[in-house]
Amino acid sequence: MRESHIMKIHYGTALAAVGLVAVHILMRMADGYAESLEFANVVANYQFLPYAGLLEIMLILLSVHGFNGLRVILLELRQGPSYEKAVSYGCVAAMIGLIAYGTRTIVMVNVGMI
Amino acid sequence: MEPRDENREGLGGMANPGRYGIERVAYWLMRLSGLGLLAYFIGHIYETSSILRGEAGWDELLELTSTPELHIMLVIVIGMCVFHTVNGIRVMLGHGGVGVGRPTRPDYPYPPASQNARHKIAIYSAIVLAAIAMVYGSTVLFGV
Repeated sequence: MRESHIMKIHYGTALAAVGLVAVHILMRMADGYAESLEFANVVANYQFLPYAGLLEIMLILLSVHGFNGLRVILLELRQGPSYEKAVSYGCVAAMIGLIAYGTRTIVMVNVGMI
Repeated sequence: MEPRDENREGLGGMANPGRYGIERVAYWLMRLSGLGLLAYFIGHIYETSSILRGEAGWDELLELTSTPELHIMLVIVIGMCVFHTVNGIRVMLGHGGVGVGRPTRPDYPYPPASQNARHKIAIYSAIVLAAIAMVYGSTVLFGV
């Protein structure tokens, strides 16, 4: 993929994530910080499908943005065909791993497997 | 050392915020805050997975993360998040040609048009907004 396309994805994921993270933080503030973190409250959040969907979208957006950002920083430090390929594939693998791990939590709590 | 690597400063060169003014500081803070936020994000995904261990596991995690040290870390995360967002929007606008000035004839000493007062103000604003958010975050987390 061309770097210009990757940067558009980087900026797009950033802008979308800003809005969703704001909603995520406001959910914590609305009920009071400590109360919102109580077990029953958190489980109810996960089992409310629209909010679980928001968490999943946020997980994907932030993982894509975060690991692409890491890739950019690592490519600024050093260049070379094999190094660039290793960094790019490494970041994609880490991104997929984190999304899979986070999705597992969201799905399992959403369907009541706790 | 290979001749092509003679001028490569590597990590030390990238991390040196002392040269090139506030733009270099913003560049450095952007990368530092990005790495910090990614580390926090990975930790956050891991810590929230403890809900799968039931109420006891979740309460154990809450107890573990409710220490003053971890609240201070959260306040730093809030600051990094606000700086990264505001400075990121500045960078995006700059890449889109917003606020970089009109093209002019390059005259000595060739001041870069993109490093103008508007962008400097935006960088300082990002730092001030991050500081304000950190103060607000402290009042919420420490209940001051």
